[in-house]
Amino acid sequence: MRAGGAYAREDAAHLGARITRELLARTELEPGAVDEVIVGCVGPPHDQANVGRVLALRAGVPRNVPAYTVGRNCASGMQAAASAYDSIVSGRAEACLAVGVEVMSGYPLVFNRKATDFFGGLMRARSVPAKLAAFARFRPSMLAPRIAITEGLTDPTVGLIMGKTAEVLARDFSIDRETADRYALQSHERARAARDSGRLGRELVPHFPLGATKKQGSVASDDGIRDDQSLERLAKLKPYFERPDGVVTVGNACGISDGATALVIATEERARDLGLTPLAAIRGYDWAGCDPARMGLGPVYSTAKVLERTGCALSDIGAIEINEAFAVQVLACLEAFGSDEFAKKHLGREGALGELDPERVNVNGGAIALGHPVGATGARLLLTTAHQLAEADCELGLATLCIGGGQGGAFLLERISS
Amino acid sequence: MTDEHESGGDPAEPAPAERSSIRIEHPEPGLAVLVLDPPHRPSLAVLDLVLMRDLEAALEEVATDGQLKGLVITGRAPLSFAGGADVEAIGSITEPERARELVRMGQAIFSRLEGLAKGQGGPLRTVAAVGGPVPGGAFELALACETIVVADSDKTRIGLPEVKLGILPGWGGTHRLPRRIGVPAATSAILTGRLFRARAAKKLGMVDRLTQPEYLLRVASDLALGREKPRRKERGWRALVVDKNPLVAAVVESSARKKVLKETGGHYPAPLKALELVVRAPRVPLREGFEKEAQAIGELATGEVCKSLVGLFQLSEQAKKLGKLPDGSDAPRIGRAAVIGGGVMGAGIASVMAEKGLQTRLRDLDPAALDNALRAHYSGIEKKRKRRRLAPHLADAAIDRLEFTTEPVGFGRCEIVVEAVAETLPVKRAVFGELAGLMPEDAILATNTSSLSVTEIAEGLPRPERVVGMHFFNPVPKMPLVEVVRGAATSDEVVARTAALALRLGKTPVVVKDVAGFLVNRVLGPYLDEALRMLEEGADPAHVDRLLVGFGMPMGPFELLDEVGLDIAAHAADSLEAAYGERMKKSDALAPLLEAGMLGKKTERGIYTWEAGKRGRLERGELNPLVARPNASTSLSDAEVVDRAVLAMVNEGARCLEEGVVRSAGEADLATVFGTGFAPFRGGLIRYADTRGLEDVARRLQYFASSAPIAGRPGGTAKFTPAPLLARLAEEKGRFHES
Repeated sequence: MRAGGAYAREDAAHLGARITRELLARTELEPGAVDEVIVGCVGPPHDQANVGRVLALRAGVPRNVPAYTVGRNCASGMQAAASAYDSIVSGRAEACLAVGVEVMSGYPLVFNRKATDFFGGLMRARSVPAKLAAFARFRPSMLAPRIAITEGLTDPTVGLIMGKTAEVLARDFSIDRETADRYALQSHERARAARDSGRLGRELVPHFPLGATKKQGSVASDDGIRDDQSLERLAKLKPYFERPDGVVTVGNACGISDGATALVIATEERARDLGLTPLAAIRGYDWAGCDPARMGLGPVYSTAKVLERTGCALSDIGAIEINEAFAVQVLACLEAFGSDEFAKKHLGREGALGELDPERVNVNGGAIALGHPVGATGARLLLTTAHQLAEADCELGLATLCIGGGQGGAFLLERISS
Repeated sequence: MTDEHESGGDPAEPAPAERSSIRIEHPEPGLAVLVLDPPHRPSLAVLDLVLMRDLEAALEEVATDGQLKGLVITGRAPLSFAGGADVEAIGSITEPERARELVRMGQAIFSRLEGLAKGQGGPLRTVAAVGGPVPGGAFELALACETIVVADSDKTRIGLPEVKLGILPGWGGTHRLPRRIGVPAATSAILTGRLFRARAAKKLGMVDRLTQPEYLLRVASDLALGREKPRRKERGWRALVVDKNPLVAAVVESSARKKVLKETGGHYPAPLKALELVVRAPRVPLREGFEKEAQAIGELATGEVCKSLVGLFQLSEQAKKLGKLPDGSDAPRIGRAAVIGGGVMGAGIASVMAEKGLQTRLRDLDPAALDNALRAHYSGIEKKRKRRRLAPHLADAAIDRLEFTTEPVGFGRCEIVVEAVAETLPVKRAVFGELAGLMPEDAILATNTSSLSVTEIAEGLPRPERVVGMHFFNPVPKMPLVEVVRGAATSDEVVARTAALALRLGKTPVVVKDVAGFLVNRVLGPYLDEALRMLEEGADPAHVDRLLVGFGMPMGPFELLDEVGLDIAAHAADSLEAAYGERMKKSDALAPLLEAGMLGKKTERGIYTWEAGKRGRLERGELNPLVARPNASTSLSDAEVVDRAVLAMVNEGARCLEEGVVRSAGEADLATVFGTGFAPFRGGLIRYADTRGLEDVARRLQYFASSAPIAGRPGGTAKFTPAPLLARLAEEKGRFHES
């Protein structure tokens, strides 16, 4: 859901608990049968530092089941799944809940340093004159807040906000405004088709938001999909990050959003014991690092690694989700996947990973239409890919995303024949 | 107040040995600790005659021990002090002089205790170390000590709730509390009978020191031996300016009196009497004040109101035992429940369940109904959070626990389902049929039906022994009664588990037979019908309502009809008529109102007009042509109006007792008070008839049966002819309650 919209008054633990509770209800999984709860979240509310634990308890998971929160920026939800996988592979756990949640609407404004010092001085002042003196140190500049979301989306090592890293890719790969807009439009069109056919619905649970107004009801589908989106409308938007010549606009970038996803990850044997029907098997996953100023290429690096690790080829994969942080970023990835030069220079390979068939990539739309609640997206990509295996009638699926700070993550999923 | 007697009243039980109820311990030199630990009260000590006798002896022993410097009075555990005076004994007093004696006895013992304190010229520092429930006499005992330490626990409840039983604090409470916390606060505490949490009590100055239960005795000992200085909130200048100021007293008294009269309609003498004593307390010597307490209790405790309220209290305590399985063990706690139907009833039930700690899954086919249910749940919880009735974290949990869905998924772990869907047999059967396949085999299938037979709903279902009625009343969060309906096949275990759930939800269960209308709606039917008949005869609805409110009903019958909705009322009347025939024949006044779309509050027009929840009058010219017979003009006296309505209800109640719809007259009383709001000071429907005298009741019914307007209408005579049980008891000069 678009930030500041229906979930404006939401709370990360509540939203995450709602989806987790529903997962437990629908799977009829006894909450005590879970060995561990792992939650990905980029910006947990300040009163829920380990939001994973809060969420688990509020979802009705018994107290003796441990829970923790993981963070890897945009891949936090995927990290939760990866941590669950590792726990299971190491023999520590047999069944885990992997949850991703983000309420970007809840990101705070923070008092700046000067204001913090001012309040500190006020607290320390004991006598009336001292208090007056402390109070006299007030300056209007203290009222300028630090905006957590802007600062959070800026890479401190290269000093670029995420949108600017996308502009770097647009220049590197010579992607023009119209191509980017055309991709954004496709995302909306595909998402609309997926919604209307019910393919999105099977991944969604209606939610009645906290603080719902009298006119507001429960929310049953994404509100980011624009049915009336068009190239003309997109062309009217001004570049957001680099004026006047930039390519990235709010129309061809993902929105700031709120959302949550919950998954059960278990060994095959344990899943059957618990009476669960698996959606997909995890064949393998990998992370990779790259240039923070070109973080959008992370999927190429991480996919190369996971393919090598599992011995699979890109051509074997029938369902692919590449997170749409920015249209130019996905387009750059597609270019890099098929480029021998990129492979030689950056991946240490002789030839390209392979051309990606656009008809197999993000067929249900992506973050440009659906939004990118940063902590939840990684887990959402896994769920979408798992469902798409049957839909596309293929054996292997890839879910991959770019990560602020210059990383990529990739999961390879395999269809389970029942 | 206390739980039921565990052993009291049984003549075969040997009387507890002397000095067995109070232990005197000497944990360190100079300190005596009196521990209230009566062996004949294993769950909670009660200040009964035996214990008071032992307390007197113990104080005597302490007073004559020259070595002592400090005295602590405490319970057998930090959160188990005493439950106050012996409620059963209060209920059985019939002689005012006997009541006064009991009061004076207690006063004398507590004054002896007070006199031992240094501040009163005695040799000791006296400390009460209390926690858990500390109501009434138990708190008065503590008030007689110099210092009160209280265990800081969620379980602690402290106060003087005597007025709720129709009496007032008689062991010095009305005088010691205002001296301690001032007249205004004491007035409010005593008149409402509120039990305070530890922190609230400390804030008001009712107690002096809070501590963790584990440190209670250590802190009390430190205070008793002077190692810790007591920090008592003194009234200081306020004692002079406020408490002893006759002007302040007059203002407090007149505003409090107005409030009491408004809330009680003048039916309850105890709060007024208590008010009279409390506002004057600081200006009256203790001894004189105590005598006033004794006189007041002599009067109140032998009065009918006190007997009624004590009876209801005991009945509701008895109802708490319904949650026991046939083998005597507690029914297991239900963790996860389902509610089907998101209408007003279903939403209310689901909301209360979620608030009380059950994971609750609510299903309705209509997403809009679910939205409304959730909105009501959220706003109900938020209201409680704002008023601090729910701690923030508990409010969050209550909101989180309510799940919702339109699909038949996620019910596999639910241990009970309560359905509140449309009132038709096929729909209910279909709902249970589907759920029986989704839920565990031993899950309870409970129906919130008000007009269908539980037995019939159960027919054809696998394992019908798990089908039960769980009849909540509207509005669910407020109404304290649940009728647990035993169908023909329902097992004892299922009845007990359902009753246990009702108790967990904070409701009082009454087990009833599966007859049309069960108990409450069955007796309410003839009452509402009779009101409508009087409307037909030309009576003014507002006047009828005023008379019945005067009788002690929470609202008049016409306001109730508008509140419930005339369509719902007509539906209920139809099913009663179908089941019981001519004596339940439905009044003709309803049909024209329904036709005109005047359904009550929800359509803003019914018997009254309703605007923004406020009652207004329809023009006479508008209502009368609809409902009253042509040329109707009534000559009913006020007494006739009340009697026709109330005795119609009594007569049906008698039939219910005869048929064993409830097991006892007491349960019928409890159900009518909690389910219809029937005047609590009258003790319930059946008790009212008993008190009035069954001969008089029968004679009056007979009179109505043969009076012109009633005999002249179909079913009128059948309705008012005294039920056989009533007629027989009237003849034998008996009572329902002893039969």
